[in-house]
Amino acid sequence: MEDSTTRIALAGNPNTGKTTLFNALTGSAAKVGNYSGVTVDVKRGTAHLLHGDEVELIDLPGTYSLEGKSPDQEVARQVLCGEHDQIPRPDLVLCVVDASNLERHLQLVLEILEREVPVVVVLNMIDLAEKSGLRLDPVKLSEELGVPVVAIQADKKKGLVELKQAMRKPFPPAPESLGWEKGDEDSRRAFGLATGELAARRPEAHSSNTSDKLDRVLLHPFWGWVFFLGVMFAVFWSIFSFAGIPMGWIESLQDWTIGLVEEAMAEGDLRDLITNGIIGGVGAVVIFLPQILMLFFFIGLLESSGYMARAAFLMDGFMSKVGLSGKAFLPLLSSYACAIPGVMATRTIDSAKERLVTIFVAPWMSCSARLPVYLLLVPMLLGGSEGGSVQALVLMGIYVLGTLTAFVVARILRGKLGPDEVESHFLLELPPYRRPQWGYIFRHVIERGWAFLKKAGTVILGIMILLWAATTYPKLESDDPGEVLSHTIVGRVSDAIEPIVKPMGFDGRTGTAILTSFAAREVFVGSMAQLFQIEETEDEGETRNRIRDRLAAETWPDGSKMFTIPAVLALLIFYIYALQCLPTSAVVAREAGSWKWAIGQFVFMSAFAAVAALIVFQVGTLLFS
Amino acid sequence: MSHSSVKDLETDSLQSLSQAQVGCDFQIRQVEGPGCEQLRNLGFCESLQVRKLANGRNLVCSVCGTRIAVSSRLAEQVKVSPIES
Repeated sequence: MEDSTTRIALAGNPNTGKTTLFNALTGSAAKVGNYSGVTVDVKRGTAHLLHGDEVELIDLPGTYSLEGKSPDQEVARQVLCGEHDQIPRPDLVLCVVDASNLERHLQLVLEILEREVPVVVVLNMIDLAEKSGLRLDPVKLSEELGVPVVAIQADKKKGLVELKQAMRKPFPPAPESLGWEKGDEDSRRAFGLATGELAARRPEAHSSNTSDKLDRVLLHPFWGWVFFLGVMFAVFWSIFSFAGIPMGWIESLQDWTIGLVEEAMAEGDLRDLITNGIIGGVGAVVIFLPQILMLFFFIGLLESSGYMARAAFLMDGFMSKVGLSGKAFLPLLSSYACAIPGVMATRTIDSAKERLVTIFVAPWMSCSARLPVYLLLVPMLLGGSEGGSVQALVLMGIYVLGTLTAFVVARILRGKLGPDEVESHFLLELPPYRRPQWGYIFRHVIERGWAFLKKAGTVILGIMILLWAATTYPKLESDDPGEVLSHTIVGRVSDAIEPIVKPMGFDGRTGTAILTSFAAREVFVGSMAQLFQIEETEDEGETRNRIRDRLAAETWPDGSKMFTIPAVLALLIFYIYALQCLPTSAVVAREAGSWKWAIGQFVFMSAFAAVAALIVFQVGTLLFS
Repeated sequence: MSHSSVKDLETDSLQSLSQAQVGCDFQIRQVEGPGCEQLRNLGFCESLQVRKLANGRNLVCSVCGTRIAVSSRLAEQVKVSPIES
């Protein structure tokens, strides 16, 4: 397995700008599969040195020490010690250090130096350090440590040429002797502190800076909460109100494409497949792209400005009541966008049990894929078209219901799992407030958007084509569309499952739409459009209205209304609770370390959803009749 | 024996970070307890200066210019002495 690739690892404490440096060095060649701000996985990319030599760059998760307990720290340790099963030991380690925190961050550098690898120390964010009055002396630091030290400003790409010069081959050797006793923690710590003081002279003890002043308000027991709730409200409000504009564009584009196809092709099965199956089905899902992008944008913004840590701080008291800590806040908040990055972000939680519980309940935070379903169903409850403050309130209620249930289940599950063997405490660095790094945020948003589109183009497209075929064949020559449909595969499946879903208020077709959405829940809207044979229209905004009108007019064979309020409520409840997302289950299996958790979670959530829908429909019918 | 009792006496006269007064600077004298590894990794080391910024369930303090939120139970494991100004 020997290969000639040169590997350079980026190591450092969390929040030192490793990822910014990684992006600056690799350009757009980065292979990224992780979560904003917090690098929880190893990222790899290709960079070119000054003379064009190609090297592989490995961005390790931030860690305070190589002896850390949490899984992300474990990964960093394994790679640096050459114990990782997929990544060979790096040839050079760039230790990224926040220049403002030299004393603290040097500890990790010293630990790495003990591993006898070639090291270049990168003093990052020198602008902030100097602004705070620190006087840095990289030359002195280099003398003390016995390795090259380069001062840079990764976000402004300053000092990168000097850094690349230091990365030239042959790599600087590991220092021959260490200024402290190897393996002796106290000696190492004392050396780190002394060196830090020598190389970065501080002005008079703490002076209050802007971040301190901001924190006085933002962490205030009362005003802090006012601000926090305001921020959360603003985020959700802007997502629901501003996203309407680009959604309209997508809709127009979809109608325009259908128009083109209809003009160019003669009527027939193929045209029907393209217009109703592919464009209609996939379009019904892609339309939610703007909302997903906006949610990721806001999360990136909160993360990058430094506010996310404050939110975790504020939420800690509340979260502790359900057996979680403030650190579970970030994973749960990102789960509102998508459970996948949410589940991955749980790696920053120290307690293994708390992490499992957070993974277990994360999919109950209503993710953006559920929105299409909510947006279809909520207006049906209120008997109007889309928009309006009552609907916004109902929508908010849906989010609150999912969240509250998640908390209750977390509480119960945490109690069942028992206390941790090693008690973990809340301990979190509150980074200084910074101007958001727009480039980083936008790149992240584009990645997530692309991932969503890829899913729409593969999984969802596939389901839509299959569903189209299943609603078309075998064909029956008849003028009655109902008779034609009941002759097809879907018609037969519907008949078979109707007895099972009828107690929840659904007929066989709705049951089939639910079945099709088990791989990806956003398929539901497209499936309903196909199953209830709703034709696409040229008029934008009309399609969803048509689905609703059609559903509102649907009746049972005895003539009674099919989509009564209890039935729509039951359908909503089912979608709030059911885990219908294969990619999430796959990530849960990977993160929890066993398929047992993923399967258990899937079965539990699906059963919970079915029982809740059953109760809502039955009780609702009693109350409304 | 006598050495340890002197040390005990010294420890007794120290206060924990969770009892310490907000807005004042302290010197960290002792970090001991089950969570001390975690604390040390974040920079709570003997002889460093710490300023306490806020009290509460989680208190906020500043070590080497970095703000850190730490649960008050954990902060009990950090013993400090006031710095005379």
